[in-house]
Amino acid sequence: MQELGLIFRALLRNKVGALLISLQIALTLTIMVNAIFMMQQRSEQMLRPSGLDEANIFYLSNTVFAQDYNQQVYLEDDLALLRQTDGVVDAIQINAIPMSGGGWSMGLQTEAGEDKDSTGVAVYMVDDHAINAMGLELLAGENFSQTDIEWRASSQNNWPAKTIISKAMAESLFPDDWQSALGKTAYINQAEPMQITGIVKALQAPWNGWSGVERSMLVPYKMETTGGRFMIRTEAGRRDELMPIIEKALSESNKGRIIRRVTTMDDTRERSYRGHNAVNKILTSVIAVLTLITGFGIVGLAMFSINRRTKQIGTRRALGATKGQIMSFFMIENLMISSFGVLLGVAGAIGLNIWLVSTFSMAPITPGLILTGVIVLFVVGQIAVLYPAMKAAKISPAIATRTA
Amino acid sequence: MLTMNNISKVFQTDEVQTHALRDFHLKVNEGDFISVTGPSGSGKTTFLNIAGLLENFTSGTFMLDDIDISKLNDRGRSKTRNEKIGFIFQSFNLIPDLNLYDNVDVPLRYQGLSSKERKKRIVHHLEMVGLGSRMKHLPSQLSGGQQQRVAIARALATNPRFLLADEPTGNLDTQMAKSVMALLEEINQQGTTIIMVTHDDDLANRATRKIQIKDGRVSELDVVSDRANSKIKATEEAIA
Ligand SMILES: Nc1ncnc2c1ncn2[C@@H]1O[C@H](COP(=O)(O)OP(=O)(O)OP(=O)(O)O)[C@@H](O)[C@H]1O
Ligand SMILES: [Mg+2]
Repeated sequence: MQELGLIFRALLRNKVGALLISLQIALTLTIMVNAIFMMQQRSEQMLRPSGLDEANIFYLSNTVFAQDYNQQVYLEDDLALLRQTDGVVDAIQINAIPMSGGGWSMGLQTEAGEDKDSTGVAVYMVDDHAINAMGLELLAGENFSQTDIEWRASSQNNWPAKTIISKAMAESLFPDDWQSALGKTAYINQAEPMQITGIVKALQAPWNGWSGVERSMLVPYKMETTGGRFMIRTEAGRRDELMPIIEKALSESNKGRIIRRVTTMDDTRERSYRGHNAVNKILTSVIAVLTLITGFGIVGLAMFSINRRTKQIGTRRALGATKGQIMSFFMIENLMISSFGVLLGVAGAIGLNIWLVSTFSMAPITPGLILTGVIVLFVVGQIAVLYPAMKAAKISPAIATRTA
Repeated sequence: MLTMNNISKVFQTDEVQTHALRDFHLKVNEGDFISVTGPSGSGKTTFLNIAGLLENFTSGTFMLDDIDISKLNDRGRSKTRNEKIGFIFQSFNLIPDLNLYDNVDVPLRYQGLSSKERKKRIVHHLEMVGLGSRMKHLPSQLSGGQQQRVAIARALATNPRFLLADEPTGNLDTQMAKSVMALLEEINQQGTTIIMVTHDDDLANRATRKIQIKDGRVSELDVVSDRANSKIKATEEAIA
């Protein structure tokens, strides 16, 4: 510590190497902070609940090829079979699967009319078993009753009288008080009225990259379709055991269709966020590699400067420097180099973030994250310089008289 | 005040053992100006390094101001060097990145003196060696003789009891060597004990005591000319 001024002035006379390392530290901080921020955002997205009892749900597709297939009768048969199977909590026919990437969206508006704003919403066509089969939590209102459910032919365009929406959808339609949505009429297709009869806590749309991913609605429809899906919720822990049993039972009960793509919600989530995971892994590697390179750069510069200053170090020892004072010389020198780098890096990190925010409409970075990055780089610097500094401390004071 | 008894120093490398000093006895008194001569490789630097606590000895006893040096750890030796000993090296050993002021400051910083006290000492000693007007210069901007004067200022700034010099004039031409020697004599007259290794018999003869090292053994020689004579000689040369 006593040598602060001397270290600084000596550093100013050997700027180039120190400056390069400073720039490297600055670049590392800039990239590190923004990359971690992007990773955090992805991780937060991945942590959002879908609203479903994911661990115990699987689904499958039912593809009809028979010509004389009685849609209405066979659907009731299938649902009865599924619901009666031992270990099944409930089952439904559904048009789309949350997080799967494929689905149907509509717009809802609080006032009818082409010129009125509408809010995008994911549409799930289900019957009165949906809340139970998906494991949704009903916050307000009530479930559909059996009489609410209508048959929907494959290209039918009108809409039922009732809907249950997610809380996020309620908040979008009625920003002042989401609870006031209950009982209100919302208009679909600009003018067709639907009454909001229930609000569920959460139900994600099929598209995880969509900003409205939390907005969804349940519509009381049974679909006449040749390509339907069934969603099945089992008792806890029995999903894997029941999947092949149910696949087999459905296949054998009716030979006019094939049962395909038996998939768990867990798999769907995994596939849905595979890209996120991959990007996070890449970003982690980039950060790790950059930090390592910076660490080795610091080691290299320190070793080089210690070799260059061997005689000087011996002389300092001869003049009375203790080993500790030699070590702290290099540690403090590193702190100075790091401080300069970190200062540039903070500016760089904020600059890059401002650019990212304006170009990709990302969220602005938090000061806590920048502070963490700063601390990490200071620690990396001190660790990197530790070994060279220890080597320097071991230089014998006799070097002072023994070298020309 | 500095007593070496039976000191030996063995350098052990993989295959060879070098007895750089053997059965070495020496008693240095306050105010001595001792010159050390001897052939190359005889152990002069080894002796000086041990006396200056830069190197450990293999056996024997070494007392410095009633401190048993063999009992000190590395930190204790560093502190003792810093407080009691000043070094002057053949190749000056100034720190090239620091200006003269900062160079003299280095050992003072290790003493933890106040910046006011340090400043006083730095200015005083740089003025004493005639470089008071060049304090902001870098060592590379000075002649060899001037650099050695800075080194002397640096060695004296901590007010050491001993000044150890290993061929302080070895890299200087005759003229500069003489002026550095005159400076050392002046310092000695003000009370600092000096031990100086030199190859130059003329300079060696200007010391108050002469010792010779041969094959690691020490012998004391008669001083050819006393200090008064050497003073006259120096003055004559200066006039000539
Ligand atoms: N670190 C070392 N390892 C091994 N041997 C050494 C070491 N340092 C010195 N020696 C040997 O010790 C002996 C004495 O060396 P020293 O440097 O003391 O001689 P010197 O009298 O100062 O010689 P010069 O006049 O050439 O400077 C020499 O034989 C030398 O080779
Ligand atoms: Mg020598």
